Amino acid sequence: MKVGKYARSVSIVGVGCTPFTNFEDHPETKGMSEGDAFGYAALEAIADAGLEPRDIQYFYHGAANPFMIGDSLTPNMQVADWFGVRGIGSVHHSEACCTGYVAMQEAAMAIASGEFDIVLSGAVDLAASLPVVGAPGHMRRDFPLEEMLPSIPMVYDRAYGRPLDSAFGISFDNWINEYRWTYGLSADDIDRALNAIAKSMRRASVLNPRGFYDVDFDQIAQANGMPDADAFLTSMMNPKVTQYLRVTGFETKCDGAAAIVMMPTEMAVARGLDHKVIDLLGTGSAAYEGATLANEKTGTIRGTKQCYELTGVSPDEIDLLFINDFFMAGDIVVPEEVGYVPRGEAWQYAIDGRFAFDGDKPINTHGGRCNFGHAHGASGIADIVEAVWQMRGEAGATQMKKLPKTTMFRGFGGGQNIRVQLIRTHE
Amino acid sequence: MPLLKDMEPIVKKFYDGVAEGKYYGRKCKECGAIEFPPHLACNTCGYHETEWVELSGHGTLKSFVVPGIQNDKPYLKAIAPYGYGAVELDEGPIYSFVVFAGKKKIVKGLQQRLADGEVIGVHAKPIDREVPLKPGEPEMVHFSELCFELDEVAE
Repeated sequence: MKVGKYARSVSIVGVGCTPFTNFEDHPETKGMSEGDAFGYAALEAIADAGLEPRDIQYFYHGAANPFMIGDSLTPNMQVADWFGVRGIGSVHHSEACCTGYVAMQEAAMAIASGEFDIVLSGAVDLAASLPVVGAPGHMRRDFPLEEMLPSIPMVYDRAYGRPLDSAFGISFDNWINEYRWTYGLSADDIDRALNAIAKSMRRASVLNPRGFYDVDFDQIAQANGMPDADAFLTSMMNPKVTQYLRVTGFETKCDGAAAIVMMPTEMAVARGLDHKVIDLLGTGSAAYEGATLANEKTGTIRGTKQCYELTGVSPDEIDLLFINDFFMAGDIVVPEEVGYVPRGEAWQYAIDGRFAFDGDKPINTHGGRCNFGHAHGASGIADIVEAVWQMRGEAGATQMKKLPKTTMFRGFGGGQNIRVQLIRTHE
Repeated sequence: MPLLKDMEPIVKKFYDGVAEGKYYGRKCKECGAIEFPPHLACNTCGYHETEWVELSGHGTLKSFVVPGIQNDKPYLKAIAPYGYGAVELDEGPIYSFVVFAGKKKIVKGLQQRLADGEVIGVHAKPIDREVPLKPGEPEMVHFSELCFELDEVAE
């Protein structure tokens, strides 16, 4: 299937992102509501675009599970006043962990169609805690695993995928298992690769003022009387919880909000922003129910093919790759599937640290879902925000050595939606 | 750049204030309009920046509806005869609140008085609320709901 080009080019002109953390753990942010958090991210994005809230013509609101973790069915209605856009049209959408990428695609379509010129697309999830139902938004309570786990299968098909246990159990390991046997690797090779990615990603999160973690694995090892990070990562303190994935290979659930402002490229260039304009080149889309055989791989192949055909970009033009890695195996298999690194070599790239922000093939320069943190629906937009900062040279301590010009996102989530997107610095 | 230190939880300050008999709004730094209850930005002119301002908690009733079976709240009826009204604070902002009227016959007559152009003063009357921390469990959390009361009830 071929995807058509936008009727007019659309660009990212403003970005904003709160820290990804547990707001309840910090005295200065304890009592943060969804409205507060969305508002802070949206206002940063609007200011970054050199605009005021009154300039926004329409907005998108994303959240992965607003009913459960936001005590809300209509969250777009409930955040508008927070950033000064009362009365304008808006829509809420929810594609679980793929929400943030859909957010960019939908905003771009709204602009490319000619219906709107200036659109904000944001998302928020306070995923580290639960609302106190019936109480004001600042009142939250603990979110124990026993309350979270029953909600996860809800992304899978009620008819077959869920009752037949055909989706949840197989989804974490099936692609990395195929990869292992295709290339004749051992389980230990995969373990070393994943642990190396964990170290690279944790280092980025510690250096990022918005990242979840303040300590790296060496410091954790030292605090537990172990010689180094590898000793900790392979210890019983970090057990394997699936065939291949250790605790550190799974998401760090947290609170966060992020937003972008988009407008026609022509308008962005004419406005003369004080930073680079970033164009959305296109989006490849796919969605395969969780029980579909190899759904992550199949969806990534389909979305990637669409995106390359649509944009005419070739894999060797990609300078930076973001992978929704709420389970970390994606960081090995996806770079090969999209052509970012040669087939059969990603595991070795990982071990050699080449995927780190200061490596030659960076991925997830903020630390990814397992280390920057995963505020479910908001994380995809946080990826876009980080990419834009990297492309402008504004990423601070984790700035890539070579300024990236072209970035790819492999969005993924919700059992599973796939979006493959390319953005490029406007020349 | 909103780092943690720059992210004051606005909702919390509002409710903490109500519990202490203080009524906080946010005043627009451009047009001067007041967001009450408070938000981060101004919905009157669409400017991005507002600042805290303490309000009197006094205003006038602009409209009033009498609850029926569909929209009656037993927890409110247990306190006093009430209705739902638009309250314009003396400082300008308007928002809908629960309004206690003292007596049932006053509730019934309020719409006519408003239609006749009478200026009906109201003042803040917070009430204590409690809800379960977790549905179905005994531990409760408490907050102060900002309601208003006709000035004439207190006179």
